[in-house]
Amino acid sequence: MDRRRFLSAAGATVAASFAGCAGLGGSGETSTGEPGTGETGTGETPTGTTTGDAGGDPTLVVGTYSSLVDSPSTSPGAWLKERFEAEFDARLVWQTPSNELNHYVERRTAGVDIEADAYVGLNTDDLVRVDQNLDEPLFAEAGDVAGRDDVKPGLQFDPRGRAIPYDTGYISLVFDGTSVTAPETFDGLLNEEFAGDLITPNPAGTATGRAFLLHTIKQFGADGYLDYWSDLQDNDVRVLGSWSDAYSAWSGGEAPMVVSYSTDQVYADRNDADLQKHRIRFLNDQGYANPEGMAIFEGASNPDLAREFLGFVLRPEVQGEIAVRNVQFPATTTAELPGDYAELAQEPPEPVTFTYDELKGSVSGWVEDWERQYASN
Amino acid sequence: MADAIEGGTEGDDGAPADATTSGDREHRDSRSLRGRLERRALVALAAATVGLLLVVFYYPVATVFVDSVLVEGRLTARVFFDILSDPFYFGEPARLLAGDSLASVVEGLLSPDRRLGIVGFTAYQAALSTVASVALGLPAAYLLARFEFPGRRTLRSLTILPFVLPSIMVAVGFVATFGQRGTLNAVLGAFGLGPVDLLFTLEAVVVAHAFYNAPLVARVTTAAWESVDASAVETARSLGASPLRAFRDVVAPQLVPSVLMGAALTFVFTFSTFPIVLALGGFQLATVEVFVYRLIRDLEYAEAAALALIELGISLGLLYAYLRYEARHTVRSRGIRPLPRRPLVPSSPSLRALLLRVGLAGYAVVALAVFVAPIASMILASVSGPEGATLAHYRFLVERQTTGASFQVRPWDAVRNSLLFGVASLAVALPMGVVVAVLTTRDYRGRKLVDAAAMAPLAVSGIVVGLGLLRGLVFGVEVGGTRLAVGGAVAIVAAHAVAGYPFVVRTVAPGLDGVDRTLVESARALGAPRVRALVDVELPLVWPAVVAGAAFAFAISIGEFSATVVLASGTSQFTMPVAIERFIGRRLGPATAMGVVLLVVTTVSFLLIDRLGGEDVGF
Repeated sequence: MDRRRFLSAAGATVAASFAGCAGLGGSGETSTGEPGTGETGTGETPTGTTTGDAGGDPTLVVGTYSSLVDSPSTSPGAWLKERFEAEFDARLVWQTPSNELNHYVERRTAGVDIEADAYVGLNTDDLVRVDQNLDEPLFAEAGDVAGRDDVKPGLQFDPRGRAIPYDTGYISLVFDGTSVTAPETFDGLLNEEFAGDLITPNPAGTATGRAFLLHTIKQFGADGYLDYWSDLQDNDVRVLGSWSDAYSAWSGGEAPMVVSYSTDQVYADRNDADLQKHRIRFLNDQGYANPEGMAIFEGASNPDLAREFLGFVLRPEVQGEIAVRNVQFPATTTAELPGDYAELAQEPPEPVTFTYDELKGSVSGWVEDWERQYASN
Repeated sequence: MADAIEGGTEGDDGAPADATTSGDREHRDSRSLRGRLERRALVALAAATVGLLLVVFYYPVATVFVDSVLVEGRLTARVFFDILSDPFYFGEPARLLAGDSLASVVEGLLSPDRRLGIVGFTAYQAALSTVASVALGLPAAYLLARFEFPGRRTLRSLTILPFVLPSIMVAVGFVATFGQRGTLNAVLGAFGLGPVDLLFTLEAVVVAHAFYNAPLVARVTTAAWESVDASAVETARSLGASPLRAFRDVVAPQLVPSVLMGAALTFVFTFSTFPIVLALGGFQLATVEVFVYRLIRDLEYAEAAALALIELGISLGLLYAYLRYEARHTVRSRGIRPLPRRPLVPSSPSLRALLLRVGLAGYAVVALAVFVAPIASMILASVSGPEGATLAHYRFLVERQTTGASFQVRPWDAVRNSLLFGVASLAVALPMGVVVAVLTTRDYRGRKLVDAAAMAPLAVSGIVVGLGLLRGLVFGVEVGGTRLAVGGAVAIVAAHAVAGYPFVVRTVAPGLDGVDRTLVESARALGAPRVRALVDVELPLVWPAVVAGAAFAFAISIGEFSATVVLASGTSQFTMPVAIERFIGRRLGPATAMGVVLLVVTTVSFLLIDRLGGEDVGF
């Protein structure tokens, strides 16, 4: 859930490697790297991947952000791989470059082959950035994907039909109900009684923080959000770095409110924490929706299998499982969720979000203006 | 050459020793293959070092920096001009470029509501951090170099431990120590004081920077102090100098260059600080690197590259100034008998001795709060859960090791990789550093410029290095239809060595410059090739500096993140810091448990390096 676009520096995987000579990493499949080299299921295939002797099976390489496959609390990656491979007689290789989607943008710019067939985990903002910075297309139109019509219309964020949403989160306040009752409106946050009480991840450098910034723009307009932030800053809001910086400072009791996700109680419940300390507040009864999409790379070597994968992800039982494991909300109307999920994972009375067209051409200016006002020394 | 013995200033070292090689001796040497190899060893090593730097550092970094002057295929200085004339970045001085008069700029700078700009503020917080690091580092050096007490060597080996800790761990430790519900407030509360609100301030950031860098100052100063020749002090004392006078005239001049080096490096590191500022300070304290990072994330490469180049230019300018100073203040020494250490418990209680111990005790309390408490808090966090003490986070590590999928980071693999990369890159960085130290202590015009350029790996923005390695090495270049690309373990080791070797240069070069030339001359006259004289004569004389440099190079490798994630050919090549980053989740337990693993592994490694390095090897 934490997008972790923060610490990353640049991409990860590379096929041409001297690993062999150094006696490290060795040959064979070593995880996210060396995809598409035709090596299948050799060597150190660990438990958790039931590739078996997948001699001639096709390989699907899927790029994503690392916490989808490798985070202690949220990683549907292993489950998805296992299920997909069992059913489709194919091998699924996760690729998790450290600078995530930008890695593929770099590859396309440099004219280097993209080994991945699909990418999982891009949001509206990402898509706008890609389209503005690349002359050649990075993603292809998704085409005929099973279950595509089941996606909630409000979540569709790509007007050009490349990205298909597979889940969504709602950005909200999370507050410790034992020490404060969060205000119900944006304006309420400006009350003196909440001075120094709110922590938010950095709007310039994190997806979570940026969603919160966009929500204030939604609320106050492009002409008014800077004034609101000026008041918020006067009331001692704390803008920290990564989502993790913000959330851990909040957990440590540095402030009673934090900008995070409306599924917070799901985690709290899993950790047997006091739910009273993990209450959710939708300011102005709204939650900013941050749908995550998946798309097929232009020039993918296995586009048909990629389409099958996208359809697989949209299936009702897979949608439910991803939502639970990724602690988000499903993107489809047909998802099968456990009955008690809705009790802990809260949906806002009114979801709001900016469309692709609204963000295009505007978002970078909004962020820059905010930076220049907030960090002015 | 005779004047070199007495000389203390740049320019009179005489010609490089190689030039004096007589034809006769050359003939004798060339009869043995070993002799031939040894004569060429230095040249070959130098060539290899330059080659490695070009491939693994200068070329990759250039692929990013070029974006600042090459916009849409056209050469331009526009991006730089825009940044330099932007008050947001350069504060009042930026108005100079916009055409304002010098007088109005000076007036602006003197007014209370002056704008420093992001660059000015970054320099300001780096300067504060440097002062704090020196203030906290010097007493530690004094204690370690001048006193004898049980555990002294262990403590000395562990001084640079903070250096390897990922910022996320330091943030956890600092919140748990200095936060509103932190240890400090608990202690203050017990005395009926407080609570104090220290976090998310400039002060918190400065203290965290001191946590990282005071150990650096302490370590290099300790090495210098241990190299002070006791006989010089004794001579001064026998001539009637008071202890204070002897310190001022004999000891201090030998320490100042090291202290300044520690200070210069601290400034450079804190000038490009990034995650710690946002984790413990907040965006209102954003530094240049925060913007470089954000711009690269948003693919705004021209502005990012220009900003990173300006950042680099300022850092290298400062390093160059320091190197000029260092060259003019070389300490000549001949033969080394270290100063005897005093017992921590004074043998004869005098008022002076007592005051000194009280001062040291006061320092110990501060050091305990700044260095030990955050580390202890990290360890505590790794065994804490919502319901009190737990080993669940360590169980997670074991579980991930035994059942983790191939695309997940496994803890033991990360430990093994870190150690292998650390040892291998140390083996590369040491000869690289020594060779560059030899080259830059020779006498030729502009050698300090070369020296400063050789320090660039310390000063370049981490995100730029990462992007450069991706473009330059991982993507490679196309030659005749085939793509030459480099990645994997060898590339990681090379990148780590490049990142760590400047420390070897900086610790070894001053000592090497100070080695009595006549010793080298004698060795050469007796037929020793240059490299033999270096290994047999010079290096033993500066051995404490070599060990300190080695420890730093190893530490850099252990803590390295951005190059590792880019060059690794898969999760199986990830190291401990990458594992920590990957294990961050809703709760920080698993990440902190991995952090404690890093702490333990590094502690053992440092103790080993120090023991292998020996206390008095080579004399």
